[in-house]
Amino acid sequence: MYLIEVKNLTHIYSEGMPYQTSALTDVSFNVKPGEFVGIIGHTGSGKSTLIQHLNGLLKPKSGKIIIDNVDITSKDIKMRDIRRKIGLVFQYPEYQLFEETVHKDIAFGPLNLGLSQEEADMRVKEAISLVGLDYEEIALRSPFELSGGQKRRVAIAGVIAMKPQVLILDEPTAGLDPKAHSDILKMVEKIHKTEGNVIILVSHNMGDIAALADKVLVMDGGRLALCGSPEDVFSKEDLLKSLGLALPPAAEFISKLKGKGINISSKPLTVEEVENELYNILNNN
Amino acid sequence: MIRDITLGQYYPGSSIIHKLDPRTKIISTFIFIITLFLVKDFLGYLIATIALGTTIIISRVPLKFILKGLKPIFLIIIFTFTINMFMTKGTPLISLGFLTISKEGLYTAVFMGVRLVLLIIGSSLLTLTTKPINLTDGIEKLLRPLRKIGVPAHELAMMMTIALRFIPTLLEETDKIMKAQMARGADFESGNIIKRAKALIPLLVPLFISAFRIAQDLAMAMEARCYKGGDDRTRMNEMKLQGKDVAAFLLMIVFVAIILLQRIYF
Repeated sequence: MYLIEVKNLTHIYSEGMPYQTSALTDVSFNVKPGEFVGIIGHTGSGKSTLIQHLNGLLKPKSGKIIIDNVDITSKDIKMRDIRRKIGLVFQYPEYQLFEETVHKDIAFGPLNLGLSQEEADMRVKEAISLVGLDYEEIALRSPFELSGGQKRRVAIAGVIAMKPQVLILDEPTAGLDPKAHSDILKMVEKIHKTEGNVIILVSHNMGDIAALADKVLVMDGGRLALCGSPEDVFSKEDLLKSLGLALPPAAEFISKLKGKGINISSKPLTVEEVENELYNILNNN
Repeated sequence: MIRDITLGQYYPGSSIIHKLDPRTKIISTFIFIITLFLVKDFLGYLIATIALGTTIIISRVPLKFILKGLKPIFLIIIFTFTINMFMTKGTPLISLGFLTISKEGLYTAVFMGVRLVLLIIGSSLLTLTTKPINLTDGIEKLLRPLRKIGVPAHELAMMMTIALRFIPTLLEETDKIMKAQMARGADFESGNIIKRAKALIPLLVPLFISAFRIAQDLAMAMEARCYKGGDDRTRMNEMKLQGKDVAAFLLMIVFVAIILLQRIYF
């Protein structure tokens, strides 16, 4: 059974205007419950347009999106029900913060879902600890006096507190330093494990996608160019490079070793796997 | 949704109207608007409409696109139409209780309505066929003589350029924040007026912060490149009046002459 079914999705921006552009063409894929999906593609390939369709912010020109057996593209659907199921964290989510305190800001989403104040308070505490912040220390401070990394965590907590079945993150690590980058990814992994929800991660970092995703979607010019396991997708080096994408650093390294004439049969994608592989090769020699 | 606003928007094209010097277009638009107030009857409007229509056809901007830009002003047109219709005294045509529509009232209402529509289409043709940057360049050049009496022409033009330049950016920003808040369940569309105004807070606070951030970044970037307004600045593209501009001015003179003759003799 699939949790998300996307069928022949097509979207056109500014239809009928001289600058109309087709942003999505005939995109179809499925996501199983609990899957971790990575979406890659260079700038303007349609990634952001695609994820905005998944929670009903954009309506497709044609095609269907079925989430948990509900067709969210049909006219008589309540947006609130979609938003309850699908949480979307935009790029630079810290720019959406607006409340006086961190607590109020995170409670905004749950309260909009119609939860009681007590329930929302509970969710805020939960969400703050899930994103790795200290409730006592941070809850009553203004979100605007936090550091960049903390702001981003608070903004992500604002979506997590809605407890979505599907959490979509659009480049959650953009513009962060390496430490905050890996912290955010660890946090995403932790959320995935504790909540058991579907995570859809849009990223430019192939290494992150290779390490985390169960399934990888490759977008190019509004079309779904590739869809499969990280092993499948990252084995198509030439195709990825022709789409302006790269291999994960670890795979790139192995590919270069192979180019030097070293015989490697497996296809490691993460640094740890490469480490093991190198041990094997060195031991065998 | 928000990016579909066409008022004051540029419609890319390469027609002769697009290629005219911005100054020519600004002055011609002013002349056209002033001339509209010289018209005394519908025959005059017919001439103006034909002139405007021909210009639109030459500019190759689709009529559909222009009319779309009229939509936001539609309310104002309806408003003036109604006011004129009921408020002008004269021979009664229809009476609805205390409201009377007079023959003169109906005439004035239609007359004013047509004037308003022509006025708006005429001025929107200017912005549709002129890139905002060229438009402000033109304004700067036209204001230059006024510098002698202390009008800061360059600064004004720069402010306008920046304002125009950032309209799309701010619209995009609004769109983005709106979507982000909608993803968190914010509802901008239902409820009474107080509820709706309150619902705007999650939009306005981040928008203001963004606007200040953008302004700061821009100021920094300009200073980093040693921007200094004022006298000695040269420009990359000097504007020069060409043969087609002279032709356009001649046509405008002919147009004004026809309108004036029509006013006096017919």
